[in-house]
Parts: sequence; structure tokens; C-alpha cells
Amino acid sequence: MTDRLVDEAKLLLRNVSFQIVSQGAEALVFKTNIHPYFNDDQDESSYIIKYRPRKPYRHPKIDKSITKSRTIGEVKFMFKLAKAGIRAPRVVSTDYFNGIIWMEHIGYSLPDGKESTLKNWLWYLEKVRGESLSEEVQRICVEVGYLIGDLHLNDMIHGDLTSSNIMLDKKGPALIDFGLSSYSALPEDKAVDLYVLERAMNSTHADYASEYNSWLLKGYEKAHSDGHYSKQANKSFVEIIKRLEDVRLRGRKRSMIG
Amino acid sequence: MTVDLDKYAKPGKSYYIALGLEGSANKLGVGIIKHKLGQLSDSNRAEVLANIRDTYVSPPGEGFLPRDTARHHRNWVVRLIKKALSVAGVKGTDLDCICFTQGPGMGAPLQSVVIAARTLSQLWNLPLVGVNHCVGHIEMGREITRSENPVVLYVSGGNTQVIAYSKQRYRIFGETLDIAVGNCLDRFARTLRIPNDPAPGYNIEQMAKKGKHYVPLPYTVKGMDLSMSGILANIESLAADMFSSKGGKKAVDEETGELITPEDLCFSLQETLFSMLVEITERALAHVQSNQVLIVGGVGSNERLQEMMGLMVRDRKNGSVYSTDERFCIDNGIMIAHAGLLGYRMGQITPLDNTVCTQRFRTDEVFVEWRDD
Ligand SMILES: Nc1ncnc2c1ncn2[C@@H]1O[C@H](COP(=O)(O)OP(=O)(O)O)[C@@H](O)[C@H]1O
Ligand SMILES: [Mg+2]
Repeated sequence: MTDRLVDEAKLLLRNVSFQIVSQGAEALVFKTNIHPYFNDDQDESSYIIKYRPRKPYRHPKIDKSITKSRTIGEVKFMFKLAKAGIRAPRVVSTDYFNGIIWMEHIGYSLPDGKESTLKNWLWYLEKVRGESLSEEVQRICVEVGYLIGDLHLNDMIHGDLTSSNIMLDKKGPALIDFGLSSYSALPEDKAVDLYVLERAMNSTHADYASEYNSWLLKGYEKAHSDGHYSKQANKSFVEIIKRLEDVRLRGRKRSMIG
Repeated sequence: MTVDLDKYAKPGKSYYIALGLEGSANKLGVGIIKHKLGQLSDSNRAEVLANIRDTYVSPPGEGFLPRDTARHHRNWVVRLIKKALSVAGVKGTDLDCICFTQGPGMGAPLQSVVIAARTLSQLWNLPLVGVNHCVGHIEMGREITRSENPVVLYVSGGNTQVIAYSKQRYRIFGETLDIAVGNCLDRFARTLRIPNDPAPGYNIEQMAKKGKHYVPLPYTVKGMDLSMSGILANIESLAADMFSSKGGKKAVDEETGELITPEDLCFSLQETLFSMLVEITERALAHVQSNQVLIVGGVGSNERLQEMMGLMVRDRKNGSVYSTDERFCIDNGIMIAHAGLLGYRMGQITPLDNTVCTQRFRTDEVFVEWRDD
């Protein structure tokens, strides 16, 4: 990321030392050991600071409204996830105006030094170890699918499901990055959420995507049949999958002229 | 290891020449390209011998209909081919192959052009090469800008896709969930009765330069996909109010109280659509960890879009944007010749029986045999 962005962040986060974790799609992500308001020398936890910088390419009105709505949306979503018991980082503090969220740090460092997102982990296995289709991969994919099933059973839509927005943690997978999240009980919205993930898997993990996707769906189905939720859950799974087939077909059939 | 592009070279000949025919929408294009033996590189670039185009322009307020467009192509194709050959200074017998757009696109226009391709192939006894229109755009853009492995934003009348190469396919990372950006602009132009000459999008761009007030419009990005139909419905209703004779409620700017003008609407539409396009491109960049962007397709000639993309990559380390001028980004024959010739050099020939055109032909269906990075 460029110095201009880092300088801007430093100005907003005075007296906070941080390391750069990533320049993602829309945000800069930093890691720090400093808690935003407690002053506890014993505290050895680390925190993530997610900062949505101004985007000079877009009109200031568009920019302000997007930064604000995404930051607020993300925080509220994380709060609801915590209440529903769906694994995701906990919010520590926020500054809506400047587009900053402090949250719990989750995950660990992979042997190649990268953060333990599902993408990095799968890439590591694909490239370095050549053991992409192990039982462990299958188990993790099923767990991830289950987690997404849980999310949808709470009528929550992630909006940007990709393998980089899923973190692997010692305690199991967790979701992150909720800037595009929304709430809906409609099978259509859930199906589109799954379709986005399926496509992301196809393009990022081309060689193994069909296995990964089928395991993800297996976990997704399991969440719907486990009995934690109403008897309707099974029925809604069937509806969502039917919709998913429609959405896929729509994608392929879309007329493409010119 | 790099691919051998010369396995099928004719003995004693140090170059290839291909003719390309494009007619998937309202532009009829004929191009002639020359490749010397060996890998294409900064010092061995493809040579454009001819690149000629004729556009079917429909009256203001109307889109181009397949039947009329096909008739236009039929009427002009022979003249354009003759002209291209004379500009290039080559004869039919100098060619190695005839390349044509096999899809995606509008059925009738595609079919009228493939007939010309088949005829030439039999007349001169040359192999045919069917080309995916989108891959044509990508390969031509890469060749002209010499960008190695960019994330491609493909924006045209019928397509809106964010594409990245991996393992011999151009993979679609994001795309429109409903209408294409060019289609959205064209339809809005029709509502405002903005002329189709030279192109509706061009005229909107000029009007947008005079716009002052931003009118809020829906902004719909889903992952790396986007949706534009809501924006179109919204802005069309604003435009309808503007022109209604009943003096109904006309939109005013929230801050100044000034009346919103058609120029303001063009401006707001572009700002919103292009912000979404730049955002999904940035998402793809982050996802594949790249920092190069190549913009192709007709909407890619919009200077505001290019400028916004430039501002986006400026904040990414070593970022760069590549785009081409209208000769190459608006539909043309040379890109079909170029991409077709790359396929030909790998032995990808389309037997006559398989030259049927298809309206739906996805970018990721093509086996990109000529790359193996
Ligand atoms: N709470 C967290 N704990 C650990 N790593 C995180 C956390 N949040 C984000 N990251 C890392 O930062 C990256 C980008 O964060 P994300 O919220 O997805 O932002 P963006 O919208 O830019 O994609 C993630 O892919 C992950 O590697
Ligand atoms: Mg992310």
C-alpha cells in the first residue's frame, strides 16, 4: 500500500503503533497490541484495526455515504453475530466518521508467514504441499459450510463470501468482512450469497473447486438438518438449493451482446 | 518453459497473416494482422496491416434491431473486406487463415458475417478460426499495451466482467447480475433522446462533463458482482419527471435548491456506475494480488472511467492502468484477427461443420493454449 494511505492512517491513529496486515479490497488492515481505551500492561492480546480510507476516485458524496454505511453495517452485523453465537471477531470500538473499526484478532500465522485465511491455507496446501484433497481439508470445508448455514438460518447475508473472508482459527472457522452484509429471509438472497462463494472458489481455487464446493454445500446442508432450528429448516434448504440452480442458470444464460 | 507458437508454421515462411471479421453487434469490422515467427514481445510485436470499421447507427430514441443490423453488415461486408485488403496491400492468397467472431453477440448479425467468412475460406482454400469476442478484446488489449498479466475490466454494450487469467483460462471473477453497463448507458440515452451518433455513451460522457450536481442513486455491489437495473429504473423515473409536461415534482439539488438538469443526470449516472466498476476491479486486484488493470470494450474509451481507475491504482503499490484508444477498444476486426491467429498458431482450427455462431459463449470456455504462465 502506498505511503499516502499509511500516513493518513497514522494521523488518525496517533500514538498507536501498528503493523500492516493487508490492503484488502476496500480497507487497510493493521494489527496492534494496544487496546483503544484500556491501559492494561498485562494484556497481551492483539487487535485488528480495519480502516476504510477515503477513495479519491469516487465523488465525495458517494464516498462519505459508502464509508459510513459500510462501517456501521459491519459493526452492527458483528454485534448480531456475537449474539447469535456465530464465530466472528468481536468488536472492540469504532469510529464511524473516519471509517475505523477495532476488533479482536483471530487466526494464526501459516508456515509461509501468511494470515490463516481459508484462501491462504488452501493455496499453501495446493502449492507447497500438494495435498489439497485430504480429510482435513474436507473437514474444514464442511465446517465452513456449516457456519454459513448457521448464518443463513439467522436470516443474515454476508454479501461478500470468498475464501479470503473466512479465517481459520484454532477453535474453528470464523467469518470476517461484513461491509456488504444485509438481512433477509428470502431464499433468493441466500442463494446469491452461496453463488458468490461458489464463483469465488471456482476462480481462486480452479483445480479443486468442485470438491471444495461440494464439501461446503454438505456442511451447509448439515446445519439445516441438525435440528437446532425449526423443522422448516430442511424445507428451506431445499428451496435455497433450487434457487441456487436458478441463479447459476441465469448467470450462464445472460445474453451477452457486443 | 514457454509455449511453442510455431509448430504449424509453413516451411520457408517467416510470418503469418490473418484476416478477422467482427459483427457481433452494431459494428462491422475487418482487420488484417501480421505476426512474425517467435514469441510476441516488446521487440516482436503484432503488426496491424488494416483495421476498418463501419457502424450501424440507429435514429435517436431507438436501439439497433438484430434484423436491421444484420442487413447493414451484409450490405457492407464485401466492400470492407476489399478495402482492408487494399489498405494492407495483401491478396487473399497471402493469408494463413480467416478468423471470425463466433460469439457472444446478437444472432442475426453474427450469422450474416460468418457467411462471408465461410465464403472466403472456400474461395481461397483457407482454414477458419472461430474466436470468442471477449477473448479478442483481452488479447488485443494485452498486445497493444504490452501489459503482462493484468486484471481485465471488460465493459461494453453487452458485457460487464472482471476477468483474471489463471491456468490457461480467462476466469470471470465478477460480472453484472442483470444488465451490462453499456446497455444501461444506451437505454438511458434513449430516455433522454440523446443521439446515437457517434455513440450514445460518447454523448453522455460529453454531457456529464457539464454536470454539477450529484443526484444520489442506488449503489449495488455484491461481492465482485454488481447490479445496474435498479439504478436505471431510478434515473429513468427522474428523467421522466424532468420531461413531464404536467409540471409534476422536478428534482432539485439538496444543497443549492437548483433544478437538476439532464447534464446532472448524466454526471450522476456515470459517477455511480463507474464507482461500482472501479470498486469491483479493486476487489479482484486484492483477491488475486495483482496491481495491473487493463480496461477493454467500448465503454473503456470513456475518459472519466480511465481517470477513476487511475486514481484507484495510485493507492496500490506499483499500480498501473492500461487502456487502448477507440480503434482497439470499440469492437473491431483486428482483435478477432489477432486472437484468432494466436489460436491458429496453436493448431486451433474450426472445421466448417463447427462454425455455427452462438449468442452465448462465455469467456472462460476458451482454452487459452497460447499462454502457459
Ligand atoms: N479480525 C481479524 N483477525 C485476523 N485477521 C484479520 C481480521 N480481520 C481482517 N483480517 C485480515 O485482513 C484481511 C482483510 O480484511 P477484510 O476485513 O476482509 O477487509 P477487505 O474488505 O479489505 O477485504 C483479511 O483477509 C485477513 O487476512
Ligand atoms: Mg476481505
